[in-house]
Amino acid sequence: MDYKYIEQLLERYWEATTTPQEETILRTFFSQDVLPEHLAQYQPLFVYEQTAATEQPLGDDFDRRMLERIGQPADEAPKKVVVKAQRLTIASRLRPLFRAAAAVAIVAVLGTAAQSAFRQTDQTNEAWDYNSASYADTYQHPEEALDALDAGLAEISDMLNSSTSADSLANNEDVQP
Amino acid sequence: MRQIDFRYDLLPLKNRLFRLALRITLDRAEAEDIVEDTLLRVWSKRDELEEVENLEAFCLTICRNLARDRSAKCEAQNVSLDAQPYDTVDLSPDPQAQLEQAERLEQVRRIFDSLPERQRTILQLRDIEGKSVRETADIMQTSEENIKVMLHRARQALRQRLLAQ
Repeated sequence: MDYKYIEQLLERYWEATTTPQEETILRTFFSQDVLPEHLAQYQPLFVYEQTAATEQPLGDDFDRRMLERIGQPADEAPKKVVVKAQRLTIASRLRPLFRAAAAVAIVAVLGTAAQSAFRQTDQTNEAWDYNSASYADTYQHPEEALDALDAGLAEISDMLNSSTSADSLANNEDVQP
Repeated sequence: MRQIDFRYDLLPLKNRLFRLALRITLDRAEAEDIVEDTLLRVWSKRDELEEVENLEAFCLTICRNLARDRSAKCEAQNVSLDAQPYDTVDLSPDPQAQLEQAERLEQVRRIFDSLPERQRTILQLRDIEGKSVRETADIMQTSEENIKVMLHRARQALRQRLLAQ
C-alpha cells in the first residue's frame, strides 16, 4: 500500500501547515490497528490526541455544587414543554382538502386559458409565411407589379416630404416671428 | 448574544475548561478550582457579556489566565505526580497489548506536559480540542502569525521528544 499521502500530511503536520481537517485525516489513519513500521512510531501521539479530547473528569456532583453556589436549585427538572389541546371543527379539518381543491381549480383554469392563448398565437403565426419559395404572384404581368410598387413608393415619398416641409415651416416660424 | 444560562451555556464547557486548566497547572485539584472560578467569574459578569460572540473562547481565555496566575507560583514543578494514566484505549483485544498501549499513551502525555506552558496550551487547543488557528489566537490573545510560529516550534519539540524515546 502506498502511504505517500499520509507521509506528506505528516511532514506538513510537523511543519504546522496542515488544516484541522487534514489533522482529522491523520488521526483517523493512525487509529487503525495495523500500521507500517515507519509510521507506527507516531501512532501513540495521534491516539493520545483523540483520547485526551474525550476525557470527562467532571461529573454531575460538580454541576450540583456549582448550581448551589450560584443559588439555583440543583434538582430542577429540565424545561417542560407545554402542550395545549385544541378542538378541531369539521370545517377546519377539511380546510386542507378545500385548499387542495382550490389549487387544482386554479391550475385547471390557468391551463385552459394558456392553451387557448397558445392556439390563437398559432393561428396568427400561420398567416405569416416567411418562405419566399411559396409566395404566389399577386399580379398577372411584371409591368403591373412594378407600377403598383412605384405608386406605393411615390405615396410614401410624398408623405415623407410633406411631413419634412411641415417641420421646416414650423422651424422657420420659430426663427422669424 | 441572548441571556446566558448557567446550566445550558456554561456547565457544558466544564470538561473542556478542565482539560485546558489541567494542561497548564498539571494538577487536578487546582484545575477543578480554576474551572469553578472561571464559571463563577463569567456568571457574575453575564450582563456585560451580551456582545461576546464566542462564549466558549471567552471562557477558555479566562480559564487560561487564571491557570497561568496560579501555576506561576509553582512553575518549577513541571510534570504532575497525580495525573491518572489513560485506561480508555481499547484498540486490541489482548490485555497485554492494551497495557502496552496505555503505557505508550502515558509517555505521550508526559511529553506533552514536559513542554513549556505556551507550547502545551497551544497543542491542547489546536491538536486536542481541534480549534482553528484563529480561535487559538483569540483564546491566547495573540496574533495568528504568532500562533503559527509557536505551533511549529511546539510540534518540532514534540517530534524530537517522541523520537528520542
